[in-house]
Amino acid sequence: MTRDESSENRTGASDAVLDERIFETSEEGMLCIIPRCPPEKFPDFALDKGIGNFSHYRSIIQKLDVFQKIAATEGGRVAVALIRGRVLVGYSACWHPSEGERWSKLGNLMYEMGAIEVSRNYRHLKLGRTLVNVLMEDDSFEDRIAYMNGYSWHWDLDGTGMTLGQYRKMIMGLLRPHGFKEVYTNEPNIGLREENFFMARIGSRVSDEDRARFRNLRFGLVNR
Amino acid sequence: MFDDYPRETVLKDGSCVLLRPATREDEEKLSEFFARIPDNERWFLRDDLADPTIMRQWIEDLDYQRVIPMVAVRQDDNRIIANVRLHRRPAKCMKHVAHLRITVDPEFRQQRLGTWMLIDAIKLALEIGIEKLVAEFVEGVEEAAIGAAHKLDFFEQAVIKEYVMDPQGNYRNLIIMVKNIHREWSDF
Repeated sequence: MTRDESSENRTGASDAVLDERIFETSEEGMLCIIPRCPPEKFPDFALDKGIGNFSHYRSIIQKLDVFQKIAATEGGRVAVALIRGRVLVGYSACWHPSEGERWSKLGNLMYEMGAIEVSRNYRHLKLGRTLVNVLMEDDSFEDRIAYMNGYSWHWDLDGTGMTLGQYRKMIMGLLRPHGFKEVYTNEPNIGLREENFFMARIGSRVSDEDRARFRNLRFGLVNR
Repeated sequence: MFDDYPRETVLKDGSCVLLRPATREDEEKLSEFFARIPDNERWFLRDDLADPTIMRQWIEDLDYQRVIPMVAVRQDDNRIIANVRLHRRPAKCMKHVAHLRITVDPEFRQQRLGTWMLIDAIKLALEIGIEKLVAEFVEGVEEAAIGAAHKLDFFEQAVIKEYVMDPQGNYRNLIIMVKNIHREWSDF
């Protein structure tokens, strides 16, 4: 069984969220995915060197205590990929929007897919998809509007050799299988570059009224 | 290419409009839409799409590899209220170029509808690997579209002086605007 097949079978096998999932990899040994990493675990980890500051690329999260804070916040969630039980080689994280952001006007209905990253040294394992898959194994997404801001200034074009268009398509491809769609908004940061995007997934239990509020908020109409 | 369509947009007055690719079923509504464009503007279109015979031909020739026609449909009454077309050339040397043409129902101007249609066309162009978007506008007739294009980083590449003739027989300048869709960030 290939590594990818193994991860897909395991993630689809049960509704129950496992604490840890172990995969065999031929080159790197054991790979462990923790779908919901508790905050107290992070001090035991080390960041792989492929996550950090590079000449044309800077990781969104570069310190373990930032992960810890996210995981400890109400609604915050971090999934991690570990090699050798403690070296963090990939992560995905989501949280509720902070006060002051446009999306916070709809309160905890909104849930941001805030960051997905795989270390430059481990991209050949295609961990990004698995890290998104494990985040999405949560029924509470049906009560939420999950969204992602795609800002091209966070994209590692040099490390992947992709064009802006290709990178955009790759990120969108991670989310589309989970029902995310690109939707339009006049949010100024999205409008700064044409390759930037805003994707959203409206949960099946979100009311028509909230759907309409979200639609209006996307275009800056807050009181309708 | 059309993964996430139809896409919603909300106009300045709060009304909801759906953007989606035009299909053969839109023939009648498209004819009605072009019939609402004033004569003095339709004059400058390459084809008189208000003419049902010409529209029938246009619809029969529909080929998304050659022309991507997008429409804006008002959710309240399903009326087509704007149309943008991305024209691509089959020549290999021109495969990175698309020509854009846009028409907006006069009743829905000044509502940012044209801007959303342009943004949609730019995103589509990015999706299909276009690197240069070209738009031609008639000076003194399409000032609102020129302004919107400027705000979306189209720049004036050339002006062909006294190139097109208006209904009164006066010659008008044709402004050729270009938007580069970059493949990467600059190293500067």
